[in-house]
Amino acid sequence: MRILVVEDDAETAAYLIGGLEEEGYAVTHAGDGRDGLFLATTENFDLLIIDRMLPELDGLTLVKTLRASGNETSVLFLTTMSGIDDRVTGLNAGGDDYLVKPFAFSELLARVKALARRPRGTHVETHFKVGDLELDLLTRVVKRSGHEIALQPREFRLLEYLMRHAGEVVTRTMLLDNVWNYHFDPRTNVVESHLSRLRTKVDKGYSSELIHTVRGAGYCLRARD
Amino acid sequence: MRATNPLRTSSFRLTLAYAALFVLCVLVLFGVTYVFVNEYALQDETEEIAVEFADIQSEVQLAGQERLPDIINSHLKLREEVRAVYLLLDPQGNKITGNIEPMQPVFGPRMMDLVVEGKLRSVRTNGFRLGNGDYLLIGQDTDTLNDMTALIVRSFGVGLIVTLILAVLGGAIIGRSVLKRIESISSTTRAIVGGDLSQRVALRDSGDEFDALAAGVNAMLDRIEDLMRSMRQVSNDIAHDLRTPLTRLRQKLEHAHRRGASTEELHEALGGSIAQVDSILETFGALLRIAQIEAGGRAAPPAPVNMSKLLASIVEDFSPAAEDHGQRLVADVESGRTLSADPELLTQMIVNLVDNAIRHSPPGTTICVQGKVIGDDFELAVADSGPGIPVHEREKVLRPFYRLEASRTTEGNGLGLSLVAAIAKRHHATLSLNDNAPGLRVAVLFPAAA
Repeated sequence: MRILVVEDDAETAAYLIGGLEEEGYAVTHAGDGRDGLFLATTENFDLLIIDRMLPELDGLTLVKTLRASGNETSVLFLTTMSGIDDRVTGLNAGGDDYLVKPFAFSELLARVKALARRPRGTHVETHFKVGDLELDLLTRVVKRSGHEIALQPREFRLLEYLMRHAGEVVTRTMLLDNVWNYHFDPRTNVVESHLSRLRTKVDKGYSSELIHTVRGAGYCLRARD
Repeated sequence: MRATNPLRTSSFRLTLAYAALFVLCVLVLFGVTYVFVNEYALQDETEEIAVEFADIQSEVQLAGQERLPDIINSHLKLREEVRAVYLLLDPQGNKITGNIEPMQPVFGPRMMDLVVEGKLRSVRTNGFRLGNGDYLLIGQDTDTLNDMTALIVRSFGVGLIVTLILAVLGGAIIGRSVLKRIESISSTTRAIVGGDLSQRVALRDSGDEFDALAAGVNAMLDRIEDLMRSMRQVSNDIAHDLRTPLTRLRQKLEHAHRRGASTEELHEALGGSIAQVDSILETFGALLRIAQIEAGGRAAPPAPVNMSKLLASIVEDFSPAAEDHGQRLVADVESGRTLSADPELLTQMIVNLVDNAIRHSPPGTTICVQGKVIGDDFELAVADSGPGIPVHEREKVLRPFYRLEASRTTEGNGLGLSLVAAIAKRHHATLSLNDNAPGLRVAVLFPAAA
């Protein structure tokens, strides 16, 4: 899988490239927006990681130009921590996800993996199955080994997100962003307390656990292989 | 400071304008008077001549035509002091009587320059042909009128000069007093620019516009001084509050470095250090967010937010967490009120308040999220039965980094309520901390317009 990193700060770029290459990705680097746009349009990448603030051509314009030319490659924006509505403008311009600097590498990796698997513009899935756990978006029924499980609306959305990203590590911040739509971190353990309830409902009484905690990174829904 | 050139002051210009206006008034008055007096005098003289002629005619009718020269002579004597002019000529043009030289007869009213008693005078005259063919000229010297107009011109001239002097003098006095008060304000502002923020403009307690201006300037200065103080306070707090975790971080790293510990121990120390750096970064993030909200820039356009729905969903989201703390989180919200607000900020504000309540209340208590319609306003409140905040501390907890002694050891950066205060202010809402007896009730009152 090929990733283009457009980042002008050499240290951040080295940190990103080193980490991603260690994970087995093929990484190309561009030091400014114009080079980034040139590489993105002339070569084939699976994912673009683009800093919002770039010399020559800023990240937002880069992605807008790219999208206007019909290029649909997934884009992960990197933003500074001060921007309240950076997220909104970034996503409106055609970004698929965003990450606030400074970030933990595990967070970046989780998002890269989520984006890499994201089906682009294909059919909409309404039924998910992981091991013996099934979730149907249309009937809103969750079953494990054929037994129906009653979930609260928020627990349902949480499980839906985990199943959409089955096998991937999902971070706390990703869950807050996508399940709760909170773009800040409440100090109270909102995610943890919901997850422990969901876990009780989904895993308790079954021989194999499906919801796993990945220490220092997040959670993962995965059937035993 | 540049000395104020008195010729360039606005009060001087005002004085000048007033003086010009006065002069114009005087001139108009003069013109009107002059025209009316002339008009009146002209009419008076013409009438006088007509009356005189009628008098002579009636006297002739009584005494007979041959007595005409005597009648004229008596009239001449009678009206000598008003400088009347008479001339009687026989049909051949020879002078019969009169006080001027004989001349070619002219008829009808007109002005003539005639030599009377050896002096050339301007005379209003009327010439008549009498029944027996004699010619009679009756005239009225206009010098009286000329004297009168000269008198009017002179008196108006004097009046004009006096008016000018008074206008300039009055303007200068008023201007000086105005300038003095403005100067007192501007000297205060100069002192402040020079760095002395404690200076204030002196009030005169007269309640006039200058006092209002001075009071306005003073209020502005109070606000600036307040801001400066809080800014200094905040930068002190930042320096202090970031030094502590940074020092601890340094100690941890130094300890690991010096002991030359095993890879495993080093790994552990690094993990702890990263967590510490993360918490410092989080503090920075919160500070930046508060600053950004307070600055109000790049604001998302306000959107209608259904309060009962938002509060219900937050209560639902936090109920499990509260239960984990052994608390009960309940909602008591009147439905149907929509506020025009930034939904993300509003959510964060309520979440922060619920967060605080959960973290500071002991197990077994109930936390109530309330939404009340009060007239046109909407009050949002989070009430707990925790330890509460002493009255004298309530103002202080809104300051960045301020933490109660009791909660100094609990996790947190002391920025939560500052953020709430900033968001409330952004929405023109009033934040108040009240006693919930026992516990704390934080209320945010949104005005009708919000």
